[in-house]
Amino acid sequence: MNIRRILTNPYLILCLSVLIAPFVFADKSAYVTGVLIFCAVYTILTIGLDLLMGYTGQISVGHASFFAIGAYVSAILTTRYGLSPLGAMASGMVLSGILSWAIGRPVLALKEYYLAMATLAFNEIVISLIIGLEGLTGGASGIRDIPPFAIFGVSFKHHLLYYYLVWLITIFVIVLSRAIVNSPVGRALSAIHGDEIGARAFGIDCTKYKTGIFVIVNVFASLAGSLYAHFIGFIAPDDFQVGTSVSLLVMLYLGGIGTIWGPVIGACFLKILPEITYHFKDYELLVNGLILVFVLIFLPEGLYGTLKKITKRAEG
Amino acid sequence: MSDFSYLVQFFFSGLTSGSIYALIAVSLVIVYRASQLICFSQGEFYVFGALIMASLLMKGIPLLAAFLLSLLSSVIMAGFIQYIVIRRLLKKPIGMLIVMTIAISLALRGFALLIWGRESYVVRPFFQVAPLSFVGATLPSQVFLIMGVTALVLLCLWLFFEKTLIGLAMRACAENPDAASLMGINVHRMSLFAWMWGGAIGAISGMVVAPLLFTQYTSGIMPMVKGFIAMSIGGLTGISGAALGGFLLGLTEAFTVGLVSSRFSDAIVFTILIIVLIFKPSGLFARSQ
Repeated sequence: MNIRRILTNPYLILCLSVLIAPFVFADKSAYVTGVLIFCAVYTILTIGLDLLMGYTGQISVGHASFFAIGAYVSAILTTRYGLSPLGAMASGMVLSGILSWAIGRPVLALKEYYLAMATLAFNEIVISLIIGLEGLTGGASGIRDIPPFAIFGVSFKHHLLYYYLVWLITIFVIVLSRAIVNSPVGRALSAIHGDEIGARAFGIDCTKYKTGIFVIVNVFASLAGSLYAHFIGFIAPDDFQVGTSVSLLVMLYLGGIGTIWGPVIGACFLKILPEITYHFKDYELLVNGLILVFVLIFLPEGLYGTLKKITKRAEG
Repeated sequence: MSDFSYLVQFFFSGLTSGSIYALIAVSLVIVYRASQLICFSQGEFYVFGALIMASLLMKGIPLLAAFLLSLLSSVIMAGFIQYIVIRRLLKKPIGMLIVMTIAISLALRGFALLIWGRESYVVRPFFQVAPLSFVGATLPSQVFLIMGVTALVLLCLWLFFEKTLIGLAMRACAENPDAASLMGINVHRMSLFAWMWGGAIGAISGMVVAPLLFTQYTSGIMPMVKGFIAMSIGGLTGISGAALGGFLLGLTEAFTVGLVSSRFSDAIVFTILIIVLIFKPSGLFARSQ
């Protein structure tokens, strides 16, 4: 019984999979590690979205906007102003935090579809500013030659080294998110999700909490953006369109909303799936769409919820 | 061209795109009122309408027949989606509804990719009439056709919802589904009708604009987003508000592209939208309560 509990500990499973994944998937090639690094980046993004939507109940169809801001701040500061990647990443996170605090207060006063619309509009604004401000951002053709990540001169140029760094950061994000969720703050957020007026009646300052969690998840998104930019070396506005925000939503619901672990599964699943369905070529889009419809109808708790049910049943 | 003829040109191009936005916004409103969800796959009916018509025309089928056949297939498709998927989603959280309609739209887009590939299609103008010259501005005949069809669709909708019993029943469902069902109205069937209307209007918007724009399997995204904006300007539930919102959006866009900057027109339009949402979330044309 005890051993089973240890074996089904999600942290243990995740750490072990992260450790062995690059060796299991064939030849330790840069391509495979690349896919696994994208998994980590999208995991960070989706966990942020889970904190915002799953726990606080605030819909976002524009989560890719701060992903874009993080990536572009990193890219611009390192290629044009010669800042170190670590400094650029930190600047991106600070800027994202300030910006989301500024827009969070008015925007999060909106609800449901209006909030969805406003966040979508914000995503579009960020994209058209990136395309429009060509002098700074390179416009539609993007920025190339972004240096690989380095901490105090130690370069993470080797893909395997960077892979472990990114996943270490991801696990840190998971630990932090779970700490937030299980703290009094997390309970306040759940109260806002359940009934905002009720929460206010119990003395919870809803605006403060909503803005606070908005700042946190956007700092996460910015972090993911910097990690992405320094790995791929070339970014263009297309990577951060509303389509990306939408696929984050898809990952969230596929994995299981409001669970923190669900987004890990959803993000990895959806990033690895195209590597398999790639062989279907033009069928890919249809297959992905149908899988998602199927999951939403028959597994409304997502993959994580279903897995949990199965292990529970196995335990009897 | 004089300055004035430029203004006229902008005005008509704004009315043209505004008509399309208005049609899509109206179809979104009808579906929203019936199923309490914003259908993110509405742009796909626009694409299927245009592409089915293009294929039929290439096979040599006359224009009117192609138009009606394409309309019919979109209506059946929309009804099928409502029947298979949407009825299972009554009273689910909004986030899930959004993701579900997005999933449907991915599947439909994938389906379109399989049928038509990645090529873009354009059809010949419906009427072979020389473009009209009006105080120096050049106006192709299709522009007037688009505005005429939009007016006709809006008139039909008004007649349907105000003058027919089914229209009345659908309005009752939109107001209060539970009470309507107690009065013996089949709520699911009314939702089915609403989706069919949505499919029909989406397809019409795609077909009338098909001679002016190239259409491919991804073309539905932008009209959908713009229709969504027009709908929010109108306050989500009003058909006339959504139509006005569509025209307003089209005109604003055309004049910002023409007079201010084509590079930042999207940024400007979306900023206006956020400001409208924050200060007037019930829409610009909502009656005061």
